[in-house]
This record gives sequence, C-alpha cells and structure tokens, in this order.
Amino acid sequence: MNAHDHFASVLAPITEARGLSNEHYTSPTFFEAEKRAVFFDNWSGIGFGKDVPEPGDVKPIDFLGLPVLLARDQEGMLHVYQNTCRHRGMILVEEPTNIRGVIRCPYHSWCYSLKGDLKTTPHVGGPGQNVHESVDRSELGLIEIRSHVWHDVIFVNVSANRPAFETDKATLIARWREFEKPVFHGGADSSFTLDVKTNWKLAVENYCESYHLPWVHPGLNSYSRLEDHYHIEEDGQFSGQGTLVYRQLKAETGETFPDFNGLSEYWNEGAEYIAVYPNVLMGVHRDHMFSIVIQPKDAETSVEHVEIYYPEPIADETEFNDLRQKNAVQWKGVFVEDVFVVEGMQRGRHGLLFDGGKFSPVMDNPTHLFHQWVARQLYR
Amino acid sequence: MVTRTKSALDKALVEAHKAGDKSEIARLYEEVGNVFEADGDVDGAAFYLTHAYVFALEIGSSRADQLQERLHRLGREVPPSKKL
Repeated sequence: MNAHDHFASVLAPITEARGLSNEHYTSPTFFEAEKRAVFFDNWSGIGFGKDVPEPGDVKPIDFLGLPVLLARDQEGMLHVYQNTCRHRGMILVEEPTNIRGVIRCPYHSWCYSLKGDLKTTPHVGGPGQNVHESVDRSELGLIEIRSHVWHDVIFVNVSANRPAFETDKATLIARWREFEKPVFHGGADSSFTLDVKTNWKLAVENYCESYHLPWVHPGLNSYSRLEDHYHIEEDGQFSGQGTLVYRQLKAETGETFPDFNGLSEYWNEGAEYIAVYPNVLMGVHRDHMFSIVIQPKDAETSVEHVEIYYPEPIADETEFNDLRQKNAVQWKGVFVEDVFVVEGMQRGRHGLLFDGGKFSPVMDNPTHLFHQWVARQLYR
Repeated sequence: MVTRTKSALDKALVEAHKAGDKSEIARLYEEVGNVFEADGDVDGAAFYLTHAYVFALEIGSSRADQLQERLHRLGREVPPSKKL
C-alpha cells in the first residue's frame, strides 16, 4: 500500500478505516517527520510553569532535540527561548538555576537579560572594546519561541504558524470555561513521571478511550462503569472521554478537597479527560485537575510528566497531606496500570503482519479522530 | 586604601575563580582595572573593567551600571539605559 492509499485508509469512515501503520510508531524517519509536522507546527506541551516558579528561575529542556530554555523574568513573566547564544550557538544554560542578573554565555560572556535583550558583547571589537558598528545588539537578542501557558502547562508553537493559542484552542477553552480559574500545584507529592517504552501516540490513544477501562482498571468497575462514560470528539483539535460518576476522595473524617468556585451542578459528579493534540492529556474534576505532558524521546520511548493541581494553595497545608498523597497515589496507580498496554501495543507494532488495526465503530471514535489528525499533519 | 600590586591581585583572582565567588571576582577585576587606569593604561583598564562589568551584570550587582558608565566614558560600551 502506498502512502496515498494508507492516508486514505486512515481518513476513511471508522467502519472502514485502518489505523496508522506500524512505521508511524517504530520508524526514526517518521519520528523525524513528526518533529516539525506534528510538534513544531502546532501548539505542543513542553513543561509546566511550576518548573520555574520564582522570578529569575531558568530551566533548560530538550524538546525533540531542540535546546530550549524556560525563563521567568523579574516581573514574573514566563519566556521560552532557544537555549543558544546568538554569537556561536553555544548552549547558554546547562542546569536549572536562578539568575540574579543576566544569563552569561560561558564561551565569550555575551550577556542576555531574562527578557532576552543582549546586554553586552565583551571584547567584540577587540580586547577591552565591547562594541562594534556591525554588531547591532537590538537584532541579536535571545530567540524567543512562541509560547502560551494554560492551566500552568507551557505550550509552544515553534514554527509560529498557528493562530494565537486562545484562538486555536477556543473550542476547548469554551468547553472548560468554568475551570478558567487560578490553579495551584499540589507540591512535591503531586508530581511524578513515568518512563514508558512506547511511541508517544500510543499513550495519547490509550488516554482517549474508555473501552479498556473495565479490563485494565477493574477498580473502576464498582462505581464507574463503561456505560457511565461518553466520548468527547472535536475533529481536528481534541478528543477524549467523560464520566458521569466522578467520586470525590474523602478523608477518614469525611473531609474533601475544596471545590473550584462557581461550578455548575454537572461537575458534582462529572469529570472529563481530554487529549489536547498533539501531546497534552488533561483531566478536570470539581476539586482538582491534572495535566500530563508526553515527552517523546524517540520513536519507541516516551516520558509522561504528570502534575496535579488544586483550586486553592493546599500544597503546604498539613490537613490535606493525607488526601493529597492519596490522590497522587491513586492517579499514579491508574497510569501505571496503563503501562503494560501501551508497551504491549508498541511491541506489537513490530508485528510485520499488523495492518494498523480495526477500530470499534462505537468505542474507538476518539482514538480514530486522533489517527486522522496525525495523518493530516504528516500528509499535508 | 592600600593599592595591591597586579601580582597580588592576579593571585587573589585565581583564588576567587577557583571558589566561584562572582561578587569577589567582579570586585577584584574592578580593582585591577583601577590599577591600570592609575598607570595611564586605558586599554588595560578597559579590558579588566569589562570583566568586572560582566560579572557584576551576571550577579545583578548595583555596581554594574557604574562600571558600564565608566566603560562608556572610555568609549568602550554603550551608555547605561535610562531607568524610568
């Protein structure tokens, strides 16, 4: 089957479609193609604001091989820069740190403010001569990457080709408008990562569907049955699932987490879990939300960065210690239960005779939508 | 104030670099720059005052603006920005 035929088969109606072929999950060539077509050309998640909480904090990260620097300036504004000096391309910051003054390149000491301005170019015109007529500092500031922070998730559009985040994600923002409120990270015990031997897409696809819940998460069967879940589908943007029977965690005293203010009654027992294409998985509940940024390491390896947030700053409130820890342990348990299926599907992608898979036309709709979106990015 | 010799300042700078004490590094480079300026060696002064300026900038020292102004007067740097 040639690429055109394969593209057509993925885009076919779900009753006839096949999933993305094996190479999309195993091939370094496809992984390389996805870097630009899927990640750089869209609003992709790369980290969290809580990773640079204080003015002056900087943190280098590797985004699909792109050296990136998260930086919070002295006014508290978050910037995302390419972590390279404009002089010779040297990596500027190697470890997370707090910058009291400027970012100094370790090679020739060109210095940048946290707002990206090039402040000085020592000896650029010769020893002791820090200016030269051909070196215009106003043109040589740090390369800023288009970024937006939503619910503390840092999104970037490296290619700067998409509409503004608020426009591009307007449908999702409107769907969750009741949650447009400050969120507070739950602290160290509300943060964990999972290293998974799987292509990033399989982690997204698994998150999208409730079909596997009865088998992989049997603990849910007693109170959150398959029929209590519904599909969420927004063609070209996001997909996922919702539940009608969210149960709040309770302490032995009966205490619960505080709720987000002003939520409608739907959220008393409703919760939603949405994959924000390409790589951010979010879950909203009346009393907490979580975000997962899936970091693709290579075609067959990913890291899931999970952070849990609350409507009030309870990270340091000892009365919530047990509940917070219980919530994190519970979610980690759920996500760990998924590891064997995403890793198993990844190993299955080496089965030469697998044809991309046949979708359930009733249960796999959100997953198929994601396949179609990926296909459209790659085969534009 | 006792003016140290260049040799003594060199030794102190090596120690300060080993210790990674950037505040002390900035202060010592400025002192070296002062010695060169007193000797009438403008190029030498500008070289060392540049190093003092860079390290002062890095640590957010209030000395940075004054060092920039000195370098600007020597024709080696742009003037400090006017603060609003």
